Amino acid sequence: MTPRQEHIRNFSIIAHIDHGKSTLADRLLEYTRAVPTREMEAQLLDNMDLERERGITIKARAVNVTYDADNGETYSLNLIDTPGHVDFNYEVSRSLNACEGAILVVDATQGIEAQTLANAYLALDAGLEILPVINKIDLPSADIPKVRAEIEDVLGVPAESSPAVSAKLGTNIKDVLELIVSEVPAPDGDENAPLECLIFDSYYDSYLGVVVYVRVVNGTLRAGERIRMMHNGAEFDVVAVGMMAPFGLRETECISAGDVGYITASIKDVSDTRVGDTVTKAEEPAAEALPGFKKVLPMVYSGIYPADGARYGDLRDALEKLRLNDAALSFEPETSAALGFGFRCGFLGLLHMEILQERLEREFNLDLVTTAPSVIYEITLRGGELKRIDNPSNFPSADEIEVAAEPIVRASIITPAEYVGGIMELCQDRRGVYKDLSRIDDTRQELHYEMPLNEIIYDFFDALKSRSRGYASLDYELVGYKPSKLVKLDVLLNGDQVDALSFIVHEDKAYTRARKITEKLKDNIPRQLFEIPVQAAIGGRIIARETVKALRKDVLAKCYGGDITRKKKLLEKQKEGKKKMRQLGSVEVTPEAFMAVLKLDE
Amino acid sequence: MKQHPGGGEISDTEQENMLSLLGLYLHIPFCRSKCSYCDFYSMPCAERQEARKLMQSYTDALLLHMEDYAGAASHHAVDTVFIGGGTPTVLPVSMLRILLDQVDRCFNLTENAEITIEANPETVSRSSLRSLRRAGVNRLSMGLQSANDSELRLLGRIHDSNGFGAAFADARAAGIGNINIDLMYGIPGQTPESLRRTLEYAVALEPEHISLYGLKIEENTPFGRQREALEPYLPDEDTELEMYLDAIDFLASSGFIQYEISNFAREGYACRHNLKYWRCEEYLGLGPAAHSYLGGVRFAYTRNFSDYIKALEEPDKGVIILSERSRIDEDERAGEYIMLGLRLTEGVDMGSFAERFGFDFTAADNVRRKLHMYVENGFMTADAGRLALTPKGMFVSNYIISSLIPCDREEYAGLRSGTEL
Repeated sequence: MTPRQEHIRNFSIIAHIDHGKSTLADRLLEYTRAVPTREMEAQLLDNMDLERERGITIKARAVNVTYDADNGETYSLNLIDTPGHVDFNYEVSRSLNACEGAILVVDATQGIEAQTLANAYLALDAGLEILPVINKIDLPSADIPKVRAEIEDVLGVPAESSPAVSAKLGTNIKDVLELIVSEVPAPDGDENAPLECLIFDSYYDSYLGVVVYVRVVNGTLRAGERIRMMHNGAEFDVVAVGMMAPFGLRETECISAGDVGYITASIKDVSDTRVGDTVTKAEEPAAEALPGFKKVLPMVYSGIYPADGARYGDLRDALEKLRLNDAALSFEPETSAALGFGFRCGFLGLLHMEILQERLEREFNLDLVTTAPSVIYEITLRGGELKRIDNPSNFPSADEIEVAAEPIVRASIITPAEYVGGIMELCQDRRGVYKDLSRIDDTRQELHYEMPLNEIIYDFFDALKSRSRGYASLDYELVGYKPSKLVKLDVLLNGDQVDALSFIVHEDKAYTRARKITEKLKDNIPRQLFEIPVQAAIGGRIIARETVKALRKDVLAKCYGGDITRKKKLLEKQKEGKKKMRQLGSVEVTPEAFMAVLKLDE
Repeated sequence: MKQHPGGGEISDTEQENMLSLLGLYLHIPFCRSKCSYCDFYSMPCAERQEARKLMQSYTDALLLHMEDYAGAASHHAVDTVFIGGGTPTVLPVSMLRILLDQVDRCFNLTENAEITIEANPETVSRSSLRSLRRAGVNRLSMGLQSANDSELRLLGRIHDSNGFGAAFADARAAGIGNINIDLMYGIPGQTPESLRRTLEYAVALEPEHISLYGLKIEENTPFGRQREALEPYLPDEDTELEMYLDAIDFLASSGFIQYEISNFAREGYACRHNLKYWRCEEYLGLGPAAHSYLGGVRFAYTRNFSDYIKALEEPDKGVIILSERSRIDEDERAGEYIMLGLRLTEGVDMGSFAERFGFDFTAADNVRRKLHMYVENGFMTADAGRLALTPKGMFVSNYIISSLIPCDREEYAGLRSGTEL
């Protein structure tokens, strides 16, 4: 280890959502005077408005600060922020691999939650030193000794002398910095060995091209050298390297083993800079890539259509722009008889999907119609051919299918004990297979279920929250595919099948689901001049039916001199309302109808 | 260019050449008592000294207001006058006569002008009706609403059907040859049978005109406040449609031809004043909350009774009595033309529309598609270039009209160019 490396500390902060990760990061920056307080926007690391609103970090970011420690030495600290949601587990794991230590923030009033555990396990897997920090000690219901005991019991990590802080008030922040210096191991690695940089993030900048965030594991990189991306062999000439200063990039002469820094090389496409990939030099390449790289694959697919068909081009441009910063987003054109031209988009999970939809609507001012999300089904046809189906419209008919398999996840739910019964009922109802139940402390338990992913992507999370008064937390990971009795449920409006409303369901649940969906749709179809049958069918056999009654009376009896202006406004308003409707054949439907099929637990 | 007091311009041709026609509306905002369903602007007032003083100062204000318009209106010929309310006949006949005299003085009344007054049976007598007839009134509009006395009580009406019959006979005796009877369907507890009896009763009186309105429960009326209690007794939509269609058939068989959603008349007795509203012709309304359409501008006077009087008594005090005013541009005029024209059984003649507005409003594909659907399913007819709603279509006319008229500039442009609505 070189003296330079001895003065570097690379660490992440991990936490369950809302336990104060970002606030603590702010305080650390503030304390090291990286950011003058008055200029500091709350939670600097969360760059996107949307993230700020939701109080979560979506994309990892990193920042470098300098800290003068009590021992008289000056340290260079690299804080790598991690996304706190299960959809982004892979990104979290890569960020953690760029560090030697992780600060585990635990809310003094809440204790350990599902994502605390999930993230802590990821950190342990990455071989990190875990340093618990107990936050929110300013709250009256804070129970510091209990949380310390819990951390030791559940995680087996010593917490007796862990700092107890209030990130909100700035209490005991220095303890955390001292802990980082004393407990996070300094990085090692050979500055003279062939270059190995781990990519843990990247973003597109319209002037610089892709800015790649890396941890240099071995070697040294300078501007002007030629680099190679090991997953696809793409090569680029480095324009600049440097560190991530709090207010932007700070160019340096080189970055070397142990450093966390950035590379720019006029890269045009984020798909060349996949998180987890290894950057090496073209001249003297590393023998093999760093372990752990995988191309993240979308787990959830949904059709996204412009509400106004004329804005298809705008939607495509917007998706292309967003993809510049989001290699996990995939999309390709699709056509629906009901919705016209749109895109089938793949997402890491439901949150990823919601965030993307919101960004499209907010940042690009698009009105969208979104179809119910689908997972990828693996269908083995009678002829032996394997098909991966991400759009229910393409689901083969029953007589063509040899075996249909669906993705299964291992779900971990932490909940106060009194809600266990209700949650087990919910999981059973969603075809969950009970695995085990363990006790976290006197009041909370951890449940494990194996569940089909397609039961989770609908309203499972909402249902879980409502059955636990908001206390239960969820984490899940894909464990594989299992054969299942899957059928395609079609919806017919006024006798015509609406492709965008079809979805895949387990045979045993088809009837209940069909009934609920026809009811839901009925509420989302305004009355029209004729009666509209709303039907659900499997392979042409109708299994549920509702009727939207015809509109009989919509008339203004009196329209004399004084009524004309008012009447005109009324009719114009009625017209505007109609404009928002989607015309499906002869039937008008609210745009919400396509999502209505999601809300099942009501 | 000169201006009407309401702000509309008087065109040069109006100034130079022939007089254009104008309907005059005078609002009398008084009632003996307020009906349970009414949200019209009026002040209930019993006959007391106080009330009489109010009526006097209101009459004076109206006189002044007419005076104001005398100059501007010299370019118009007034061929219809409608005195509405409230209940205009709560005003003493002497005051009504003074108002009618002022109309004659300030406006060019045409020879055969239709002069209507609204009345309730309990506020007229044979002598008052005679007196009104002599003052020029030649059309009377009386509210019966229902011939079923328990329905009447529920509506808060203070007459009964016998009283109505007597008043009707008095009007005839006074020489009023054109009488309208207002009726209502959709009253809580009403059945198709009781409506039929009401229609039979009205027809037996042999009026020239019948208006049949669907009861609408408005907020801020006694009915509005009791909505929940009334709900179970209200006829359902299917029953109401049945009532409406039955009434149209029955009235037709009795010689009353439907000419508007809620209006029926014997041949030649359609209300000329009201037709102006639906044919987008000009009218001037005076009184609080009265609306006008004059010189391309729609405007209304304040609903505030005392502001209205003050403004006219003391014009220099700067009390503003125009409560709304908007110039109707070519686009909006086209939309109104369709919206109002489709209320009439004569409908909208496509040729006249194109001539008037310079485009074919059925050119756009989606308009054609909708019209086709409406015609195919019996909601509209499209005979000889004339679009009209059928009775069934009239009952869903808001739905149909709102699907055909543009709601913003962009849509108007689309409609004009025939690309898409």
